[in-house]
Amino acid sequence: MTWIAPEITRTPEPYVGDERTMLDGWLDYHRQTLLLKCAGLTGEQLRTPSVQPSGLTLLGLVRHLAEVEAWWFRENFAGEPVDYPYFTPETPDADHDVSAADAEADFATFHREVALAREAAAGHALDETFTEVGAKKRTFNLRWVYVHMIEEYARHNGHADLIRERIDGVTGD
Amino acid sequence: MTTWTAPEIDRTHEPLVGDERTMLEGWLDYHRDTLLHKCAGLTAEQLRTASVEPSGLSLLGLVLHMTAVERSWFRQRFTGQDLPDLYDFDTDNDADFHAATDADPEAAFAAFRAEVDAARAATAGRSLDETFTLTRSDGTRTFNLRWAYVHMIEEYARHNGHADLIRERIDGVTGD
Repeated sequence: MTWIAPEITRTPEPYVGDERTMLDGWLDYHRQTLLLKCAGLTGEQLRTPSVQPSGLTLLGLVRHLAEVEAWWFRENFAGEPVDYPYFTPETPDADHDVSAADAEADFATFHREVALAREAAAGHALDETFTEVGAKKRTFNLRWVYVHMIEEYARHNGHADLIRERIDGVTGD
Repeated sequence: MTTWTAPEIDRTHEPLVGDERTMLEGWLDYHRDTLLHKCAGLTAEQLRTASVEPSGLSLLGLVLHMTAVERSWFRQRFTGQDLPDLYDFDTDNDADFHAATDADPEAAFAAFRAEVDAARAATAGRSLDETFTLTRSDGTRTFNLRWAYVHMIEEYARHNGHADLIRERIDGVTGD
């Protein structure tokens, strides 16, 4: 039987809450929204760059965000060693190269990376700072990571909106 | 006569470390600037082009929409100012997007900037914990100002994602 991306019931974000509740709620909402944009599609549809000349695909976005979760929450904030599922120094854009990708496996990887990212941030204050991996050595706090991840997902979900619409006409928040 | 093109934007980057309010305001301003940045250098005709059909979205439509959204959340709903809607949304829920077909982009950009300034003035000095109530057909809900800030960041960011692909199909320009 052909695998299709599962249906998603999103948890709405809180309308009133403290800072951490609001950030966690909005981030989870957008993690779920990316999967919602994929729901009901086959692997082949998920690998289709439907808004050419852009090469972006829905599956490429899922793979990209899995690595972004690991990059910011685990490697940069928590200082954990990360074994990236797609990235190599020789193939830095491997996340978006979906030509030989297995969508079902990539969805499992995404869920695993989100769970690990949540663990890495749990119990840490938003004011905690860290020095970024890489040459610039800038200092960030965990608050920045949260807001960045919300806007990163939201922007890519904007890409996902238009990619999906051109695959099967489905639109919506 | 010189043809108007959308002005270049020198974006202010968000802070990398800061308290809650500083971070939210910085990211919101970054995305307000980013929307204009995605328009920079284009003519009126290009800004009105729905380049990712069947979507009807255009860059000018996004600017008109975000002008209405700024007014709606910050001034009409949060501070409760008695201001008219910018479009007849009762007749057409997407009236702002649809207005892009014949709106003057230079005037639209000026209105956008004025609305952003008014929104900033409306929220200045107000606590993120302050609540407001909104009644719609699906019921009455209470929000706090914190929600409105994070929502506006993700609303702009999502539309800037649309803007990325619309722009790329107009003239090939990409980038954050």
